[in-house]
Amino acid sequence: MSDANSTPEELILAMLRDVLARQAQQMDLRAQQTARAPIAPTVLMPLRREPDSPIVARTESPSAPREPAVATKSTDEWSETDEPHPLSPAEEQMLKEFNDEAARPLTPSNLPRLLRGLVLALLLLLLVANAPLFEGNSLARALSDQQSLIIRDGLLLKGSAPDVYVIERSQKRWISSLNVFEVYRYQWADVHMVDDQFLNQFPNGKPLYLLVKCPTSPHVYRIENERKRWIKDIPTLLSEGHQWQDVRDMPCAQLRAIPDGAPIPPDAGTPPQP
Amino acid sequence: MLATDVSTTQRDVWLTPLELLLRHRLRFFAEVRDGVDLPHKLAGLLVCAALGFAIFGAVIGSEHSALQAVAAALKLPLLFIVTLLVCLPTLYFFNSIFGASLDLSQNLALLLAAIAMTAIVLLAFAPVVIFFEITTGNYQFFKLLNVAIFVIAGGIGVRQLSEGMRLLQLSDRRSLKARTRILYLWILLYAFVGSQLAWTLRPFFGAPGLPFEWFRGLGGNFYTNIFASFGELFGFFTVR
Repeated sequence: MSDANSTPEELILAMLRDVLARQAQQMDLRAQQTARAPIAPTVLMPLRREPDSPIVARTESPSAPREPAVATKSTDEWSETDEPHPLSPAEEQMLKEFNDEAARPLTPSNLPRLLRGLVLALLLLLLVANAPLFEGNSLARALSDQQSLIIRDGLLLKGSAPDVYVIERSQKRWISSLNVFEVYRYQWADVHMVDDQFLNQFPNGKPLYLLVKCPTSPHVYRIENERKRWIKDIPTLLSEGHQWQDVRDMPCAQLRAIPDGAPIPPDAGTPPQP
Repeated sequence: MLATDVSTTQRDVWLTPLELLLRHRLRFFAEVRDGVDLPHKLAGLLVCAALGFAIFGAVIGSEHSALQAVAAALKLPLLFIVTLLVCLPTLYFFNSIFGASLDLSQNLALLLAAIAMTAIVLLAFAPVVIFFEITTGNYQFFKLLNVAIFVIAGGIGVRQLSEGMRLLQLSDRRSLKARTRILYLWILLYAFVGSQLAWTLRPFFGAPGLPFEWFRGLGGNFYTNIFASFGELFGFFTVR
């Protein structure tokens, strides 16, 4: 086809020439075979055509002999179908039915009215289902919360007791004070009221405490039930499962205003003031 | 013009193509084949499909909040129309390469007919969805119920497309096998594009306990999420 020094363009041109030559050969062969075979008559069949209907179907006569297969036809199914297949009797029947049905006069219906009615009814239903009729809750969301909750880290739950819990790694962690709730920026709107039975399915995790200190004082306190509990020293802090990084600064006056609770450990003595 | 046989009022003008599609499907396909009144058909089907999807979107979104209902009403039509536009060139050009004589507007009419049919089926299911929205609070069940409804509606739409293509190609037999295969492959492509876009545009339902959001960050995919929902519904594990 070409020598080794040919450029890519020359190679492509040579390939194209080959393809065209092969196609010309096939066309010649096909022409010879068609000349030998009787020509299948093709008719234009207007099927129950209406006065201004443009619908016409192009079909082959069922009795027409089929065009013989071309000897050089490719075996590749994606390309062999370039030959138009004649319609099977079932397909011809289908085409006839298609054209008959298509040519049938249209009859007026109340479908548009029905559709409009359905749309209006749906909008009304949607409004009723979402109107806040039950103490601010809509009908669509009136059912108990827990059935539709996705259990995830950060989910806030509250049972019949005043305690609020946050779910973390499949455990419920008690939020030990309002300060913790605020410091972690939880929102009351996100707290889900659930049955105690539902709440109890989660094992207890480490409570969520707030560790604070006053910037001018070395003493660390744990806020618990709205009281400050002095933590005696760093080994105690660590043994309680806390880390120094969790200690936050709080204005000294604000910290002093929080009443004292029992120190940690309880025998640590009188808690110093920050 | 054939469509003028139907006595329609001016306000029903958008509904005429849909009525033709629902009550005289063969006539609709014949008119598409012959190019009868195609612009009107395209516009009518587009409006009806968008409206149907918007109403169904509002229904599923309202399970979470009013804002979510609005968001889903906007996003659901967008999902179907964008998926259609993304996949339309593939169908048209592949069909053309394999000898189909349908032009772009005829292809578009068939696709719009398919999504309009999907929208109507969804609309028909909407009262059922509202019923379950009121009577059950199980989010995973509600989500899977709607996924099943979408599968049914999408299946009917795709069947409609396949039937339309078959009828329109009855008198155009060149490379029919190839084009039929292309159609099936295209349907797969359409489903993949649609599910990925749905995942990108989520949330449509809005998970309870999570605040409203227009779009959620990417991560995961549609199929793993559905698998996880099945897992939680049947008690195998909990979705986190």
